[in-house]
Amino acid sequence: MRRSEAGRPDSSSLGPPSVPTRVVVSKVGLDGHDRGVKVIAHGLRDAGLEVIYAGLRRTPQELASIVTQEDASVLGLSILSGAVVPLTRRVVDEFREQDLEDVILVVGGIVSPADEEELLAMGVDGVFGPGASMSEVVGLITNQLEVRVPKPLTNNEEEGGHRG
Amino acid sequence: MSLREAQDGWLAAHSEELSRTWKESFRTSSGIEVEPLYTPADLEDRGWRYEDNLGFPGQAPYTRGLGAGGYRKELWHLEMYAGFGSAADANQRFRYLIEQGSTGGVSIALDLPTQLGLDSDDPLASEEVGQMGVALSSLADVEALFDGIPLDRAGHVFTTANCIAPIAAAWFIVLAEKQGVDKSSFRVQIQNDPIKEYIARGTQFLPIDASVRLACDTVRHVVSEAPGWFPISVSGSHMKQAGASCLQEAAFTIANAIAYTERCIEDGLSIERFGPALELHFCTEMDFFEEIAKYRAVRTVWTRLVRERFGAQTAEAQHFRLHAATSGRPLTAQQPLNNISRITMQVLAQVLGGCEQTRTASFDEALAIPTENAARTSIRINQIIAHETGVPFTVDPLGGSYFLESLTDDFVKGIDRELERIEEMGGSLEATKAGYFQSEIAERAYREQVAVDSGEQVIVGVNRFRVDDDPELPTFELDQGAVDRQLAGLARLRESRDEREATRRLVELENVCRSDDNVMPAVINCVRAYVTTGEIASVWKKVFGEYKPEAVRF
Repeated sequence: MRRSEAGRPDSSSLGPPSVPTRVVVSKVGLDGHDRGVKVIAHGLRDAGLEVIYAGLRRTPQELASIVTQEDASVLGLSILSGAVVPLTRRVVDEFREQDLEDVILVVGGIVSPADEEELLAMGVDGVFGPGASMSEVVGLITNQLEVRVPKPLTNNEEEGGHRG
Repeated sequence: MSLREAQDGWLAAHSEELSRTWKESFRTSSGIEVEPLYTPADLEDRGWRYEDNLGFPGQAPYTRGLGAGGYRKELWHLEMYAGFGSAADANQRFRYLIEQGSTGGVSIALDLPTQLGLDSDDPLASEEVGQMGVALSSLADVEALFDGIPLDRAGHVFTTANCIAPIAAAWFIVLAEKQGVDKSSFRVQIQNDPIKEYIARGTQFLPIDASVRLACDTVRHVVSEAPGWFPISVSGSHMKQAGASCLQEAAFTIANAIAYTERCIEDGLSIERFGPALELHFCTEMDFFEEIAKYRAVRTVWTRLVRERFGAQTAEAQHFRLHAATSGRPLTAQQPLNNISRITMQVLAQVLGGCEQTRTASFDEALAIPTENAARTSIRINQIIAHETGVPFTVDPLGGSYFLESLTDDFVKGIDRELERIEEMGGSLEATKAGYFQSEIAERAYREQVAVDSGEQVIVGVNRFRVDDDPELPTFELDQGAVDRQLAGLARLRESRDEREATRRLVELENVCRSDDNVMPAVINCVRAYVTTGEIASVWKKVFGEYKPEAVRF
């Protein structure tokens, strides 16, 4: 997630580079179609990440606790029910409350252009709709991880993150 | 010179030409290698005999069809699956579909909360009420859904109930009473296949053993109260759309059907009564000949199991219903009009495969719930095949094709091999608990995505033949007032119903659930007393416990 206020990203959850980066992927809401999320899990695993698929119908609270327990740097949500905006908003709110804003948040599913705009405005780092390739998704996550590795702050890193 | 020698000679003489191909290898979607040419020698090599492998339509091994008359006697039932918003909203769409010539009756898509046993006013249901199907929180909603559509006029009623199957069966038993319609004047068909929910579709909310008990209770009750209905449709469609190959779809579905059959027989139902109550449901994707082979092979394998494994003595026991839906998965959001050709090929494969009932998706379904225009076009696709092409004029028109018969034989053998593997794991219920199907399906979905990403597998308009200026299609938008209407109706129901009667019926249900008795009579009493879907499901959760997702490490 990008911060709602400009600030230095705290990347302490990434740990030293030798620790494998963990990604939690999950379904939220009621839809049970998890082909896509499992494909992405496989793809991220093959890209060298450690992936935990949390399963179906997870609540924002459960996700916050799984991400914390696993010390994960990335959360991927898969939502095919058409309720992508409100469901994501609940997760974003919970993660803000739990001080998990530095977790990279990626959303995939049935996403209209208007939904995408809203998701990005609420701080989601990457949004993928129908037709997105696996390499695009994996590429975004690995790029984001590189950007978030602790390094001197530049002005560029402060862009975005404003509340929509 | 034998034909085999002649064929080998031909292959040798043209080896150079035959090796110059535009594709490195030619395989079906299930990975079966396709030869450049098939002749009677290929069939002879595999010991294929007309009498053993094909026979006649309406006779064992039923490869050529379950009935002698094929589509000359009766065209396939053309079913249009629909549902959104409140019952009143969906009612309008069903009236439209029936008017346009849908002959498959009323095929109800339930919204996710209803399928998960949640009422529309449950906090967990918010945002999803009426979105992917119609919300049916109580009998009152079902009555509104069928307002002006008497059940005998609908003729056929289908719904994807799965983990709430007893409730769905009860709706139509009670609605028939209320409408004063004889239960034999229409047929109810229930997708009552919880096992595959745990494998691929994801609407499970109870532990799997409890769901299987409820499924089989439903079958046993409906078979005696409403013979002629199909209380158990076992479906491969969702496993296929989750990633299973065409061959796996066929085998996994039959494995699940075996599990339900065994359980029902154990509980005292005979195969003679169970057999005709069963429907096997599949979906058709883009590998045209493989799909046709699948439908033919499924008939061969299932009817043989009914005879040999379950010891059926009558032909009727082997007469399951073969139901095929076009698959939503190959439909693309990009250049959506291309989907009309995809759907046409899929329906044609189903018809050439001898399916008795088709369910047809709409060309805009990758984008949203179908518009009326898109749904009507899908009805027309079926009508064009039925009335303009001559395809239905003879039974099993492709029977005897050297290629198709080879493929059908490969499918029969492939399904048998897979069934044996599942049997070794202790049957499909055990294999599901062990995650076998789930990991096979996920692995194949991943391989397919890799092939699509690399361009090895072509999806027209997605990874090849793309356009930059794809004009936007008008899509269906749900009237948001529908959700308010649904919630208002439910609030009125909670105020107006006889609360003491509802409570009494819920207590009765809880007691039955704790016993070994069939839950159906108690569920019917609940439904009649306007007990809600969520209230019934809550009793089940209280007695049986709840499904809990497990995290999986990749």
